[in-house]
Amino acid sequence: MWQFILKRFLLMIPTLLGVAAIIFLLLRVIPGDVVEAKYMSGEGQGMSNQVMAEERAKLGLDKPVWQQFGLWVWRLLHLDLGVSMWTGSPITEEIKLRFALSLQVALMATVIATVLAIPLGIIAALKQDTWVDYAVRIFSIAGLAMPSFWLGILMILSFLIIFKWVPPMVYTPFWVDPWQNMVQLIWPALAVGYRYSAVATRMTRSSMLEVLREDYIRTARAKGLWLKLILVRHALKNAMLPVVTVIGLEFAFLLGGLVVTEQVFNLNGLGLLFVQAIARRDYTLTQALVLLVASVFIFVNFVMDIMYAWLDPRIRHG
Amino acid sequence: MSNLFARCNVGIFALALSALGAMTGSSLAQAQQPRYGGELVFPVPSEPPSYDGHKEETFGLIHPVAPHYNGLMRVDPTDPSGTKPVGDLAESWTISKDGLIYTFKLHKGVKFHDGSEMTSKDIKASYDKIIFPPPGVVSDRKGQYEVVESIEAVDPYTVRFKLKWPTVSFLASLASPWNFIYKADILAKDPHWYETHIMGTGPFIFVEHVKGSHWVGKKNPNYWDKGKPYLDGYRALFISSSSAQVAAVRGERAHIQFRGFTPADRDALKTALGDKITVQESPWDCVLLVAINHKKKPFDDKRVRRALTLALDRYEGSKALQRIAIVKEVAGVQVPGTPYATPPDELAKLAGYWKDINASRAEARKLLKEAGVEGMSFTFTNRGIPMPYEPLAVWLIDQWRQIGLDVKQQVIEAAAYYATLRKGEFDVAMDFQCGYIVEPDLDLYKFTSRERNPANYGFYDDKVLDDLYQKQSRAPNVEERKKFVRLFEKRLLDEEAHYLMTLQWHRIIPHSSKVHGWQITPSHYLNNELDTVWLSQ
Amino acid sequence: MSISAPFDAIEVLDAAPRARWLAVIVDFSRRRPLGAIGAVVVVLMLLVAVSATVISPYDPLTVDFAAMLAPPNAAHWLGTDAYGRDVLSRIIYGSRTALIVGFGAALFGASAGAVLGVGSAYFGGRIDLVLQRFMDIFISFPLIILALAMVAILGNTLPNLITAITIPMIPRCALVIRSSALSVREMPYVDAARAAGFSHARIILRHMLPNVMAPYLIMLTAFLGQAILLEASLSFLGLGVQEPTAAWGLMLSGAAVEFAETAPWMGLFPGLAISLAVFAFNLFGDSLRDALDPKLRTL
Repeated sequence: MWQFILKRFLLMIPTLLGVAAIIFLLLRVIPGDVVEAKYMSGEGQGMSNQVMAEERAKLGLDKPVWQQFGLWVWRLLHLDLGVSMWTGSPITEEIKLRFALSLQVALMATVIATVLAIPLGIIAALKQDTWVDYAVRIFSIAGLAMPSFWLGILMILSFLIIFKWVPPMVYTPFWVDPWQNMVQLIWPALAVGYRYSAVATRMTRSSMLEVLREDYIRTARAKGLWLKLILVRHALKNAMLPVVTVIGLEFAFLLGGLVVTEQVFNLNGLGLLFVQAIARRDYTLTQALVLLVASVFIFVNFVMDIMYAWLDPRIRHG
Repeated sequence: MSNLFARCNVGIFALALSALGAMTGSSLAQAQQPRYGGELVFPVPSEPPSYDGHKEETFGLIHPVAPHYNGLMRVDPTDPSGTKPVGDLAESWTISKDGLIYTFKLHKGVKFHDGSEMTSKDIKASYDKIIFPPPGVVSDRKGQYEVVESIEAVDPYTVRFKLKWPTVSFLASLASPWNFIYKADILAKDPHWYETHIMGTGPFIFVEHVKGSHWVGKKNPNYWDKGKPYLDGYRALFISSSSAQVAAVRGERAHIQFRGFTPADRDALKTALGDKITVQESPWDCVLLVAINHKKKPFDDKRVRRALTLALDRYEGSKALQRIAIVKEVAGVQVPGTPYATPPDELAKLAGYWKDINASRAEARKLLKEAGVEGMSFTFTNRGIPMPYEPLAVWLIDQWRQIGLDVKQQVIEAAAYYATLRKGEFDVAMDFQCGYIVEPDLDLYKFTSRERNPANYGFYDDKVLDDLYQKQSRAPNVEERKKFVRLFEKRLLDEEAHYLMTLQWHRIIPHSSKVHGWQITPSHYLNNELDTVWLSQ
Repeated sequence: MSISAPFDAIEVLDAAPRARWLAVIVDFSRRRPLGAIGAVVVVLMLLVAVSATVISPYDPLTVDFAAMLAPPNAAHWLGTDAYGRDVLSRIIYGSRTALIVGFGAALFGASAGAVLGVGSAYFGGRIDLVLQRFMDIFISFPLIILALAMVAILGNTLPNLITAITIPMIPRCALVIRSSALSVREMPYVDAARAAGFSHARIILRHMLPNVMAPYLIMLTAFLGQAILLEASLSFLGLGVQEPTAAWGLMLSGAAVEFAETAPWMGLFPGLAISLAVFAFNLFGDSLRDALDPKLRTL
């Protein structure tokens, strides 16, 4: 088992390096750079080429690409994310508050999704092909079908028109003012949690169906639902594993993936920062963000793999 | 200026007619006693990249940062045309007979927020940084002060600018909202210090900047202009989404947004909040231009370029587009209502501004036929910004269709856009110009020859135009200058049709009726020191 | 195992293609009514898209400033947009864009994923390991960021947009197909084919690919809806299809948001169209999965 964990852990390194290399190259392929984004916005009078070259040199953009990459990785190894090319301040400072916000929304959405999805998925599976099943499936597929920004806009508009109320504009950390904090974040968490619960409900349902198809449970089918439930409980541990995986991966995805929702609900989270960073060609910040989100994702994956291996010894040797 | 007032009143009258309810006029017009106290809250659609106004170019810096500083001069905060320079740290000034020496007397007893006194050496150090930057310091604006020979601190309260040639626009150019006065000692130690710190003489003291969230300033109790400011402080919220900005004003979580809202937002706010909202509107010193690439055939042919402008029914376009986009006035090279603006009857003589659109389009078709490119098709390159690029592009393409041209739109992501333009990889493209003060020297420079001016995306050289530019710039008086501005305009827009003007942007600020002492101007870079602003109960 | 047993529908198809068609459809609709409803909507959508030129009352691109922002009325059933274009006509034509993006991205993404997944499973060993690392890398990339970067690099024409949406889908599909293909690889007939000295290409094409058809079809239908939604999200961020193309996502962004209150019809109807389409694709896809391979889970 320890050998498996070690092997699996070491495999994370090439993946992370690959992510780093790809985002690094990708950003350099996108036309334009930070100096251009800043000074050729058309708002000002436009800068001379010489001044732009000086600015580029200051940011180290005049060096060969492999040198820039080497320098970046070298700093990363020293746990130094560097400074944002757009603002010139440390990236940790840029990310801090936004990370807190995104993390909180992701956690809240996860709780909402889990609370909704697991009971709904189990019931739907137990009552497969009845109206209960249909209702649950329609509810969850509707969650997948509605563009989340559209749902968000509908929500905000109805607050405005019916209650003449808008959520707070600025993020207040939970420990500063829990009420302000909740009042702002509960709505996006609900909008996202609904879609997220749809994914998890479907997974719970199909995973349960699979368990229900096992022979010993089929036999119990004749003996009534109650007994079936009891039997299912034993198998539930295995059935829930894929569900936990989906929830874990979705969570990792939510951390940096709420680009559009954050825009609609005016949340200054990582997703919005992502879009801004790319639009501003802030290479250092974009790289740091991608690496951060990818690390969380890879780590969640790693933990899931370990759990699988622990539950199913065959995987360890596979 | 009175022209602008008249225009505003007509606009307000028309709005009242469109069942939006009664409008209160400019808040300065009401002679109320200012009230002290309160915190002004306003969303800012962008965020300052660094804190150094000498270096940056975005209103995202001006709106939160300007209240911490003073300039030597400023634009009169009560002047709706935003063109009248008045003293800020300068108490008075004299100009030598030959127009080459400007001597400024400074206010006494002005203190930086750290308690030290502001003197002429701080003015000199700040302007030296802008006009004669030391190595390693970026100054985008040194070109605008080419006329300055030297700056001299005569005594602690007197500063003298020597010019190379006389120009009537010098005071206005000193009123630039970017030219914050910094402390000489700090600049001497580290010219980059101001990129990450605030230390000014302004009416408000810096409290905090939380990245991605907000910026807070509090009242400067020792402000040199006694009795001001009125506010206890202000809070700028960084909100990029425009619908969230509107929601902030609507939900009374913010008082005002200083950049501008769309007509749809204005109507929704007014309908929802009635008298609680006051709307100020003004022509905006920004305009979308159509750059025609002279390096591509057949656009090197001025008949083709003239046809493109003759196809546009600007007057009808204005009526439709002002409902859905932040554009309105049909204008020449200067903002309507400002000193060098084109009088309407003269404007109507220029190609593409004729009152008879059928005659205009017939002429356009004739020109295309002569040039042998009837019914040609080309690609219009546009920038990936919705407002107002998209509506104007849809309008342009529709107008060109009406003289038989088949135009496809190609949209390029905002940040990559100017890279494309600079490389000249387009036929016809949207271009943009926006100024902080309406001034022909600043506004017309973009249209001078490519060889001297990298912002010319028409890729043409025109010595006649360059010559007219210099003549207007060095004209001895306003009347003489007007003549040259008109000649420049006629050559640019009509005879050569190098560039096309679309419609003047239109700035709409619907703000809480509690906000007083703030006057809209044609620029969203102006009037943000907030010293005159106060909140009623 | 999952692949051999639950092929009821497909086996019936193989046995007597022509005669049993109707029976399969009837059977499917009886056992999976939700799926049938989804299928009907999908077919309707296809019909609308094909006959757009005939059924749409106006040209979707004609600007008419005289009719701008008109609420739903007799002349314009669903009102007009900010440029006076007929909303109904734009929705009808928009179904073409949606289907092109949906099918384009899904077919391309699922197929590329299938080839990679099967190849990875078949060759195993070092190739598998390297391919798996690549899949890991692309999966860990935030999906919308990848699409965003692709659009910024390639520009936002329709084919480029489809590519941008496809790329993040490929590794997701490859992973699912690989796990199915792994079990196929162990089948006796694959061993036999190998022993007989058939080429790798022949074995993959003739023996492996047909046996992962079920997960392939399921991924395909799952991607259909996702692609349409992703395109709408990109449009909302201003990176999707561009004016004046008639596209649902585009109709939902920009002016529609701004006029959400004063002219709600501009955004409401295209929003409903997207939801309905994705809903139908998912209903159909889910039932297809239940029928073909209940063990297969799609993320």
